Amino acid sequence: MRGFFLFMFAGAFFALLQSSLLPLLLPPNWRPNLILILILYLGLSENLSRALIAGLLLGAIQDSFCGPSLGLYISVYLIIILATRLLSDQLNIESPPLLLLLIAGGTLLQNFLIGFYLTIFADAAPVLHILLPAIPQQLLTNIIFATALLFMLLRFQRLFGYRSGLAGLMYQSKHHGS
Amino acid sequence: MRELLSRYRFLLLAIILLLATVILYSYNLRQKTATTFFERAVLTFSAPFQGGIDGVVDTITATWDNYLWLVNTQQRNLLLEEENLELRFKLQQSQEISLQNERLRMLLAFVDELDRPALPAQVIGEDASNWARTIIIDKGIAAGLRNGLPVVAAQGVVGRIIKIAPNSARVLLITDASSAIATLVQRTRTRGITRGRGGNLSVDYALRDADIQEGDLLVTSGMGGVFPKGLPLALVESVEKDQFSLFQRVEAKPTVDFSYLEEVMVIVGEDP
Repeated sequence: MRGFFLFMFAGAFFALLQSSLLPLLLPPNWRPNLILILILYLGLSENLSRALIAGLLLGAIQDSFCGPSLGLYISVYLIIILATRLLSDQLNIESPPLLLLLIAGGTLLQNFLIGFYLTIFADAAPVLHILLPAIPQQLLTNIIFATALLFMLLRFQRLFGYRSGLAGLMYQSKHHGS
Repeated sequence: MRELLSRYRFLLLAIILLLATVILYSYNLRQKTATTFFERAVLTFSAPFQGGIDGVVDTITATWDNYLWLVNTQQRNLLLEEENLELRFKLQQSQEISLQNERLRMLLAFVDELDRPALPAQVIGEDASNWARTIIIDKGIAAGLRNGLPVVAAQGVVGRIIKIAPNSARVLLITDASSAIATLVQRTRTRGITRGRGGNLSVDYALRDADIQEGDLLVTSGMGGVFPKGLPLALVESVEKDQFSLFQRVEAKPTVDFSYLEEVMVIVGEDP
């Protein structure tokens, strides 16, 4: 439960960071989607029901901080979590390079889904002119920030121990799917 | 049956949840201007934090600029004095033009001016994604604002309020892909629908034979009832005419520079 609230707190903090501080420092295409990184980590490390609940709530938080309609990120993150679960059973999720590859895949999937939803449901096809040219920058930024976060996370694990409530790859992999 | 359900539990759960989220999204698309309880709660709780972060960043920037980073101060001072003289001259010219304009208006009995009360607001946050273009302002229901009100800056139209909380509101910028505004080319009164494309704008449904040139100013047409008529929106950047198309392809640059947007005005009154 502590881990769940930690995810929620981190999600709210990331949303605030993405809407307040990062716009002052980085142009739109170079701003990372920190919540997406959190979602991918959530999909890999938490059990399914907890990952789904947290994912839906994080999607709702992100929806409240961007775009005009509630529900877009809820749906997108649900699909990303389910896809991550399906993949995580087949992959060695403890490998950091593989994790970064997952971040890249997640970024591409997220862009595809947002483009699809907005074009099909919201009749906002011009969004493709915004999304497509931004993909290379988004990939690069998300991977750089994910590397930094992963590095910090592993540091924290060493500092506080693997059983301190912070969901971590090494600890969680033993309990994966429980 | 139970065995079947238990075997495909994951698949069923995934399908049900996916359908539920798609229905939720479709429902909210129809309720575009309605702010849900969840969104209102998030906006309400996040506004003080966003205001705080904005204040801290402003203080740090001001301290850095005013007391620490003084390398080019003297040089800048000279440049500013020069610019000041130039601006004074321009101001005098502008006052002269303004007086002339006033006289002409009275002469032609041409009344086409915006006469509505407006409320100043400060930008405290931006969109948390790279594809949507929205901002958060520090005024909400408590200040008398509501969904749909137009937001402007000194240079022109900024957007309209789409979500509102007691002390903050989310504004959909004209550059957002879901924004569409009825516009006129000021010079020729050609009509079109101006849509957002992230950084710039495109004008849809401008007839092929219509006279539109680079540098033309686009203004709001007043159709749709959100924006008052005649507000500056964008400058035409390029015009392309396909041989077989009914409409011409027009790209425009917003008159407002959204990367430096700090204060805005919300037009609160109705048309007189």
